[in-house]
Amino acid sequence: MATKTKGRFVNGLVDMKAGKISREIFVNEEIYAEEQEQVFTRAWLFIGHESQVPKPGDYFVSGMGEESVILCRDREGALHVFLNSCRHRGMKVCRYDEGNTPVFTCPYHGWSYATDGKLVGVPFFKDAYHEKLDKSKWGLVEVAQMEVYKGSIWATWDPAAPPFTEYLGDFKMFFDLSLEAWNGTDEPLEVIGGVQKWLIPCNWKFPAENFSGDSYHNISHRSVDMVGIGPSGTGRRDTQERADSRRLQVSFPDRGHQTGIYVLPGGSPTAASYQQSPEVADYFREAEEKRRAIKGEWGRVTGSPGEIFPNTALHPRQPRSIAVWHPRGAHQTEVWRWYLVDAGAPYAVKDFLRQYYIRYSGPGGLTEQDDMENWNYAHSASRGTIARRHPYSYEQGMGSEQTNFELDGLKIPGTVMDLTEAKSSEQNLRNFYKRWAEFMDAPSWDELADWR
Amino acid sequence: MAVSKSRIDHLLLKYEIEQFLYQEAELLDERQFEEWLDLLAEDIRYWMPMRRNVKFGELDREFTREGQDISWFDEGKDTLVRRVNQILTGVHWAEEPLSRICHSVSNVQILKATPSMSQPTEVTVKCRFLIYRNRVQTETDFLVGKREEVLRSVNGQWKIAQRKIILDQNVLLAKNLTFFF
Amino acid sequence: MAEVVNVRLLKAGDKLQVSHGATVVVVSNPLDGVWIFARYLASPKDPSLEGTEDMIFAQDIIEVLEISGD
Repeated sequence: MATKTKGRFVNGLVDMKAGKISREIFVNEEIYAEEQEQVFTRAWLFIGHESQVPKPGDYFVSGMGEESVILCRDREGALHVFLNSCRHRGMKVCRYDEGNTPVFTCPYHGWSYATDGKLVGVPFFKDAYHEKLDKSKWGLVEVAQMEVYKGSIWATWDPAAPPFTEYLGDFKMFFDLSLEAWNGTDEPLEVIGGVQKWLIPCNWKFPAENFSGDSYHNISHRSVDMVGIGPSGTGRRDTQERADSRRLQVSFPDRGHQTGIYVLPGGSPTAASYQQSPEVADYFREAEEKRRAIKGEWGRVTGSPGEIFPNTALHPRQPRSIAVWHPRGAHQTEVWRWYLVDAGAPYAVKDFLRQYYIRYSGPGGLTEQDDMENWNYAHSASRGTIARRHPYSYEQGMGSEQTNFELDGLKIPGTVMDLTEAKSSEQNLRNFYKRWAEFMDAPSWDELADWR
Repeated sequence: MAVSKSRIDHLLLKYEIEQFLYQEAELLDERQFEEWLDLLAEDIRYWMPMRRNVKFGELDREFTREGQDISWFDEGKDTLVRRVNQILTGVHWAEEPLSRICHSVSNVQILKATPSMSQPTEVTVKCRFLIYRNRVQTETDFLVGKREEVLRSVNGQWKIAQRKIILDQNVLLAKNLTFFF
Repeated sequence: MAEVVNVRLLKAGDKLQVSHGATVVVVSNPLDGVWIFARYLASPKDPSLEGTEDMIFAQDIIEVLEISGD
């Protein structure tokens, strides 16, 4: 079944024919409530990484939309994602951030659950319940589907959602740029200890659209570019390897995922990067040479920020991290940022990257700080009755999108915008909101999986 | 009976260190960032771990580890200088217009003085901080916690050689950390 | 009334008097402060429980009979 061409959101509040989006979708609390139902109960959401829960009994408390969930590895080694709420009266069964446990016990009335979610302890089961409570029906609420993809863990509440790799579609090869080792192999990555969590006073879609590919906001990072925090001592990232590359935006209209990429000309040499540390520079030069050898022509592609619909942001190249924009009401977002590193890298490399990661990203990051100021006040200045009457413009580059894009024999999937000369485009942002509008209008996955 | 010399030495040192910490807060609150940088030793470690909720008996896992894990800050003078330079560009939008900030420092304790209280060259200090930030119109943050620091005497001037900042928060309630602790 | 037992402090091998006149030995402690994994040593009201393992709720513990050697 084809997706509707007109609905309350599709070509309504999200008018992609005109390139305009109503401010209501950011600030209206009723729309926010609908969004929790239409988007967050149906989409695949990022939960964490396998390296966070290596052993039986290990758990990490994560989130899906507004809900607290527990990622845990049971006694048999299987992974689960549970709603962090006692079935009896709703109390959180885990108020720790991470650890290892044989049971999750509710402190309110004492119901206790095994790491596979089964209800195993009910106080006064004989005396008060006369053994009549059917414990098998009162286990922790588990997600409908959970999948591990190259170490990353995903879940959805919707049993009708397509499998995660089908949900990714051809975006998979671009997501791989965040999950493969720097040398392009499947050697394991690990999350560096400590997930950053902080609050921003804005709707979650401001950061989501920014990471979808806001190629226009470089001006807001001018101060960090002047002072230079990059791994070679200048700017905020190594841009040497991009000098000769084509800069593309790639989006997948039927999926809602999008990213920026850089494509090098065939046969170009490995650019010097991480020049502040010879040991780190050597590590990356060797890794990059191996990656290009393994990947062949696709080794010419390197990553840039992207977004997996709806709220998982990718930062695959420098600095490497994954962020989730958790909605906390229409006017607030709780960001969780995971930082990734090659598990087998020497300490000097991990230490260098870690320090670079936190001076770039997060609330202490010289780059991300300015983003949050913009999202904060863009949101607050859009709340007024008059402000809401005036939609935002998403017209940049409309009509210049290309399909079947080919570059020196490399066929790029999806819809492509070449920014090399254009400098910027809002294709990826339009793509994100087009998919968001479809989720808001569609009654079920039958309409959303229209590629089937 | 006369007050013992060691008690007087302790009192004088505590007074001297308190005055230093107040003067430092004054420079920050008066936005004299470059003068503030002069108070930092060249090899300073400025570290603000994140804090986890952990089970009773597992408090050794409460803080992210210096030099190993992700923290809010874990850096040296080079990065701190760049932070100041970024504010001084005038186009660091998260601090333009500049925030109004007030640092209160209290509960100053001298934990250690070497080689002695009477002629110290290095002092380990613990204190409390309360940072009030107000910016633009109504945006307000309160950040409260402890600091543990090592001050070193360099040519008769105290310099901050180590600062560990313990913020009493789990999810950071401020949208960013554009200021200094 | 016997002292309130902090079940976090119980260790494998500790013997406990529990409700319905039963006695159990601690098998392991999940350290949740609420439950203990234990094996029934004696259960006069329901002898079929003897030798079986079960989770014992903290409020069902009447007193600690014996602290294990280690």
